[in-house]
Amino acid sequence: MSEVKEVEEHEILKKVDPAPWKDVPLVLNNRDYKWVTDKVCGIVESKTPTWWWWCFITALCIASFTGMGLVYLVSTGVGVWGNNNPVNWGWAIVNFVFWIGIGHAGTLISAVLCLLKQKWRTSINRASEAMTVFAVLCAGIFPLFHVGRVWFAWWLFPIPNANAIWPQFRSPLEWDVFAVSTYATVSILFWYMGMIPDMAVLRDRATETWRKYFYGFFAMGWRNANNHWRNFEMAYLLLAGLSTPLVLSVHTIVSFDFAVANLPGWHTTIFPPYFVAGAIFSGFGMVLTLLLPVRAVFGLRDLITQKHIDNMCMITLATGSIVGYAYAMEFFIAWYGANSYEGFAFINRAFGNYWWSYWIMVSCNVICPQLFWFKKIRQNTPLVWIISIFVNVGMWFERFVIANTTLSRDFLPSSWGYYSPTVVDIFTFFGTFGFFSVLFLLFLRFLPLMPMCEVKSVMPQADPHADH
Amino acid sequence: MMDESSTKDTSPKGLSTKLLAGSVLGLGGGLVGLFQGLQSGDKAPFLGWLWGCSFWLSIAIGMLMLIMIFRIFNSKWSPVVRRQQEHALSAFPWLGLCLLPLLLVAWFGKDQAGILWSWINPASPTIEVSSIISVEEDVLHQKKAGYLNLNFFTLRLIAYFGIFCGISYWLRKASFSQDKDGDPKWTHLGTKVSAIGIPAAALALTFGAFDMFMSLEYQWFSTMYGVWFFASGMRAALAITILICVYLVANGKLKGLFKQAHQYDLACLSLTFTIFWAYVSFSQYFLIYSANIPEETFWFTIREIDPNTGLRSGWFWVSMGLIFGHFFFPFLYLLFYRTKVDVPKLVFIVCWILAFHLLDLYWNIIPGREIVPGAFVGYEARPVIGSHLLWGVFSLVGVGCLCAWAVIRSFQSGIAEIIPIRDPRIRESINHHE
Repeated sequence: MSEVKEVEEHEILKKVDPAPWKDVPLVLNNRDYKWVTDKVCGIVESKTPTWWWWCFITALCIASFTGMGLVYLVSTGVGVWGNNNPVNWGWAIVNFVFWIGIGHAGTLISAVLCLLKQKWRTSINRASEAMTVFAVLCAGIFPLFHVGRVWFAWWLFPIPNANAIWPQFRSPLEWDVFAVSTYATVSILFWYMGMIPDMAVLRDRATETWRKYFYGFFAMGWRNANNHWRNFEMAYLLLAGLSTPLVLSVHTIVSFDFAVANLPGWHTTIFPPYFVAGAIFSGFGMVLTLLLPVRAVFGLRDLITQKHIDNMCMITLATGSIVGYAYAMEFFIAWYGANSYEGFAFINRAFGNYWWSYWIMVSCNVICPQLFWFKKIRQNTPLVWIISIFVNVGMWFERFVIANTTLSRDFLPSSWGYYSPTVVDIFTFFGTFGFFSVLFLLFLRFLPLMPMCEVKSVMPQADPHADH
Repeated sequence: MMDESSTKDTSPKGLSTKLLAGSVLGLGGGLVGLFQGLQSGDKAPFLGWLWGCSFWLSIAIGMLMLIMIFRIFNSKWSPVVRRQQEHALSAFPWLGLCLLPLLLVAWFGKDQAGILWSWINPASPTIEVSSIISVEEDVLHQKKAGYLNLNFFTLRLIAYFGIFCGISYWLRKASFSQDKDGDPKWTHLGTKVSAIGIPAAALALTFGAFDMFMSLEYQWFSTMYGVWFFASGMRAALAITILICVYLVANGKLKGLFKQAHQYDLACLSLTFTIFWAYVSFSQYFLIYSANIPEETFWFTIREIDPNTGLRSGWFWVSMGLIFGHFFFPFLYLLFYRTKVDVPKLVFIVCWILAFHLLDLYWNIIPGREIVPGAFVGYEARPVIGSHLLWGVFSLVGVGCLCAWAVIRSFQSGIAEIIPIRDPRIRESINHHE
C-alpha cells in the first residue's frame, strides 16, 4: 500500500506519457473462451477427416521402411549398414543427434519460455512438447540398434549381471543413456501433466462412452478445484525448473560424445553451448515445419498468429546466427591454434571429400535463416515453411559433417576411407519420418493440440486491468 | 523541456570531483608503474593495468549486451532499469582511453623483454616443449603471425572500441531522444540498433578477449574463451546494475519506481548467468582436462601447480576459491526467494560476485610463464601475490573512478530523465509486479 502511495507521489510520474504503441493480442479477432474451447476440442471431437487417413496411411507406409530396415539389420547384422573402418559411427550417430536436437524445442518452449514469462508460448507449447517426445523416441532407435545385438541393449544400464560386465562409465556414450532416458521421462511427464486439465474438458464434453473412459482415465479425477490448480501450477513450475537444466545437459552430453574424443574437428571447447544452440535451432525449425500446416488445416490463425510465427522466426535467426558464430570460432581457432591436424580437419571439411555437405550445412544453417531479418519474408508463410525445411536439412548435414569428415580423414592417410550409406541406412532413416508423423498424427487426432487454460490466461479477458 | 529538478543528480556534492581526483591518483600511480616497467623490463605493471581495465571494461560490455537483449526481447519490465544502464554506457570512450597507454607501451616498448604481449617482441624468450627459444623461432608464432602482429592488433582494438562506442551512441540517442518527443520511431531504432549490435558486439568482445587476454599466452587457444568473457561480463554488469538501482532508490531518485519485482528479476538473471558462467568455465576446463594435450593443458597447469616442484601453488587455492566462491556459494544463495528480494542480502551477494569476478579476471590474466633459464622446466609460474597486484589496484581504482565520474556526469548532465518517460513500455515497467 505504501509503495502505491510512493508511486503516486513521485514527481516524475506526472511527466510519464508513453509513446503510442500497439501490441498485437495473442489471440486475434476478440475471440472468447468458448470459442477457444470449441476450436481445440473440435479437432479431437469432430469426425476424422479424410486427409488425416491419407496422411496416416502414408506415414505408416513410410514408417514401415524403418521397421523393415531394423528387421533386416537384426536378422543379418550391423554389417548391412554402411559403417566401415574408419567411419565406424556412420549415419547412426548422425540420425541420433539429429532427432535428439529436434527434441529440444518442446522443452525449451514449455520450460525455458515459461521461466522467462513469455506468454506467446501458450499456443505452441503442447504441440512442441509432443514433438519432443516423438523425436526422442525416433532418436533412441539408432544407438539402440547400433549396439549390434539389440537384445543386449539393457547392458547399457548398470545392472548387475552374471558376466560381471559393467558399462564404461567414463564414456560420454554411457552418459547419454542416463541423460536421454531422464530427459525422455521428464518430457513425457511434463507433456502429460500439462494435458490433465484439457483431458478433463474433453471428458466432460464427451458424448461417447469410450471417450468418457479414455479421457476420464487420463484426467485423473481433475475437477478444476482450487487445490487442483494450486498443485498443478506448483508442479508445472517445478518441472519447468527441472527441465531447463535437463534440456541443456542432454545436448551438452551429446556434444561430449564428440568433444571428449581427441580427434581433430571434435575436440574443441565451444562444443557444449554450440550443440545446445544448434538443438534449439533445429527444434524451432521442426516446430515451424509442423505447425504451419496444422495452423492452415485446422484454421488456427487466430491462435497461432503472425506474432507467433515472427517470434519463432526470430529465435531461428538468433540461434542460427549463434551456430554460425560457433562455425566461425572453430575455423578461426583451428587456424590460430596452429595444430596442423586441426587445421587440416577444417580445410578438409570445406574443400575435402565431403565439401558439398559442408556447404549445404553453411547455406542452410547460417545463410538461409538470415532471410528472417526481413519482415516480408516472415509474413510469407509458405516461404517460412520452406526455410524451416532448409533448417532441418542443414542441421542433419551439420551432424553428418562433424561425424563423417573427421572420421573419414583421421591422422594416418593410409587408414582414410569414405563413407557411403547403404540402402538399409537410407530406408531406416527415411522411415523414422513416417514413425514420427504417425505419432504426431495420432496426437492431433486424440489429444488436445493446445493447452486451453493457458491460452485463455493470456487473452485480454483474463486480465482484469486490460482496459486500464 | 527537461525539468531540472528531476534530472539533476542529488548525489553528495563534490562526488564528481572526488572521483576525478581518485582517477588522477589511481591512473597516475599506474602510469608511474608503466614507465617503471618500460625502463626495467618488468611485466608486472602492465599486467596490473590490464587487469584493472578489464574489470570495468567487462562491466561496460555486459551493460551494453543487456540493453540490447532487453530491446530485442521488447521487454516490458526493463525500461526503468535500462535507463540506468544507458548512463553507464558513457564510460566506453574513457575505457578506450585507459587502454591507450598499453597500446603506446606496445608501440614504444616493443623491444622490451618484458613486453605484456610477448608476441609483439620477436626476441622475447618463450618455451617450446622444454627448450627456451625466441618468439620468432617459435613455429606456433610463425603460423599465427598474420594475426598476432602489432599493426593488425592496433587496428582491431580501434575497431572493437569503435563498435562499442558506436552502438552505445545510437542506443543512448534512441532512448534519450524519445524523452523529448515521444516518437515511437526511437523505439524502432533502438530495436534495430540492438539487432545489428548484438552480433557486432559479440564478435568484438570475442576477439577482444582473444587479443587482450588469451594472447597473453599466445600458444594457448580455446574456442570457448569469448563465451567465457561474455558470461563474466554479464554477471558483473547485472551486479553493478543492481547496485546502481538500489543506490538510486536509497537517495530517492528511483524510490517507488524500481520495485521489488525489478530487483527479483535482476536477481533471477544473476542466478541464470551464475549457472551459465559455471557451465562455460566447466566445459572449457573439462574438455581440456579430458583431452590431456600438453599444448592446452599447460594453461591450467600453471594455475594449479608449481611446474618445477609439482606441488600445489597459490593458484590452486585461487582456483578452488573460484569454484566455490564464484559458483557454488552465489548459486545456492540466489536459489532462495528471500535473498533475491531482501535488499541488504542482495547487495551482499552482488558485491560478493563482483569481488570474485575480479578474482576470476586476475586468475585469467596474471598467471603466466616467466622464462628462467636455470629452472627445471625452463620457466616459473608467476606467483599469486606480487607487484602486479599493487599496480593492479592503482589501475583498478583509477579506471573505476574515471568510469564512475563519466557515468555520474551523464546522470547530472540533464540529457535524460531518470526513467524513460516516453518509452511505450514505461507504464508497464513502473507497474511491474511479481
